[in-house]
Amino acid sequence: MSVMLGLVENEALKILRRKRFRIILIVLAALLCVVVFAQNRQQQQQRRDHPERDWRAQVEKRASDLERQMNQRRGIPEQWKRWMRYESGRLRYYLSKNLNPNELTGPVFTRAFAGVGSVLLIPLLIAVFGADLVSSEFAEGTITLLLTRPVARWKILLSKVVAMILFTTLTLLAAFFLAWGISGVAFGWSGWEAPILTGFRLGGASPAAGFDLSGVRIVSLWQDTFAAWGLAWFSALAVGSITLLLSVVFRSAAAAMGTMMATLVGGTILSRVASDWDGAKWFFVTNLPLPDYYAGLPTPFEGMTLTFSALVLLAWALAALTAAFVLFTRRDVTA
Amino acid sequence: MSSSEVVLSAEGLAKRYGDREVVSDVSFALHRGEVFGFLGPNGAGKTTTIRMLVGLVRPTRGRVVIDGHDLATDFEAAMRRVGCIVETPDLYKFLTGRENLEHFARMIGDGASARIDELARLVHMDERLDGLVRTYSLGMRQRVGIAQALLSDPAVLILDEPTNGLDPAGIREMRELVRRLAGERGLAVFVSSHLLSEVEKMVDRIAIVHRGRTLAAGTLAEVTENGAKSLEDLFLEKTGGETV
Repeated sequence: MSVMLGLVENEALKILRRKRFRIILIVLAALLCVVVFAQNRQQQQQRRDHPERDWRAQVEKRASDLERQMNQRRGIPEQWKRWMRYESGRLRYYLSKNLNPNELTGPVFTRAFAGVGSVLLIPLLIAVFGADLVSSEFAEGTITLLLTRPVARWKILLSKVVAMILFTTLTLLAAFFLAWGISGVAFGWSGWEAPILTGFRLGGASPAAGFDLSGVRIVSLWQDTFAAWGLAWFSALAVGSITLLLSVVFRSAAAAMGTMMATLVGGTILSRVASDWDGAKWFFVTNLPLPDYYAGLPTPFEGMTLTFSALVLLAWALAALTAAFVLFTRRDVTA
Repeated sequence: MSSSEVVLSAEGLAKRYGDREVVSDVSFALHRGEVFGFLGPNGAGKTTTIRMLVGLVRPTRGRVVIDGHDLATDFEAAMRRVGCIVETPDLYKFLTGRENLEHFARMIGDGASARIDELARLVHMDERLDGLVRTYSLGMRQRVGIAQALLSDPAVLILDEPTNGLDPAGIREMRELVRRLAGERGLAVFVSSHLLSEVEKMVDRIAIVHRGRTLAAGTLAEVTENGAKSLEDLFLEKTGGETV
């Protein structure tokens, strides 16, 4: 047990001293600054353009715009139509409860970032430090020392898995606090108690199916945010596990990282364009935006639910870790 | 000087990659307090054999027993008795020498970190231990590598081409260190090399490996027939004069 603690300490030391993790945090902070700046500009412009209008009129206009586009314009992809139907229904329900869905505060931004970030940004950052974990030991030749110490190979890999979980958690915590801290500068840090409507569902695939309000409930923003970031963390762990497998397979960190990034970007494109091909729903990238599916946003494929996506991710993560352990403990280390 | 206590034995080691048998039949035994030279031309299977001795490569046949522990079934206990440098002493370059030693001491536990300062003095690295490994010369890395190998207080030290790339002063220092470790601490030191003149000055017994098999084995006096043949002649005779 004490040796295991020492092994994890070793892995943490190596991750921190390699400086990659610090670069991740800097990239994250810089990106958040840009996004917050852009959103702030947009909000100011809207206020300048329509200073007279109150929020009810704005939301009303947005909802009816969406409904008009949905019904009039031809050639809109089915996926967009579903999203439009969802969004207009959501806005109308907020109006009926006399709640403002568009009030942008630091906490609202932080909640939204869980959804946006877990699609691509956070997985990419995880891939940057995760790809290093095993492959760098091969690339730098230190693997021969690491594996000729009186520690079984599975323990060494386990310590790397623990380090991966630890630093994925740290990345998510850093992303949360950076998102809140930076957006708060522009939009204010308070507002965690604001009521949020959650649990919207589209009735079905056809436009006639309408909007299912049976599951809608009011929660505090902090509750909603906690759930969303928890799910984002779960997605990130699945990404970390798969990255670790690639790091075992490839001897170069660049190859592992490149493969993971191509897969993430490719998978994101796939789930946007190939909405006809049902098989894509079994691909892990399609299932990463758990916080969005939790909020009730339309899924890209029929039959996907939050539970489905969580289980698919869990299966991918467990399969990846199993494969990583089998490969790592059996492989001959030559040259 | 060697007592007959065997601390490492290789028994009929063989390794096959696909159709190619890299090592066919390698057997030898290391005794306490002796320096053992493992000689052979390049491509004879030296490196693969060493990698099998330390558990990096799994033998197709045969077994390795270290201080009574079978390497295949009792890896941790067996490896606790071994320190090694396989090929180049690759340490973490972005860490200091001391941090490297602490890293590997944590893998051993049992107060191995308490030995760091003593071992640094032994290999004359105590003054430079807090510099980044990136800034070390090859000789310094080699010495930190040996300190690392001694952290678990092993019975066997395995050094793969330890004098490779060292300057004459470094070679002499390495030779003296190896002799001292065997003589004063009673370690069995396994040294692989293709530099015959180097080995002659360092070892008590040798084995010559060729085409994946151990040929001659014995004390230096035995194999050279009490100096009737030079080690070089013997080596060329056994290996058929192939390039060394």
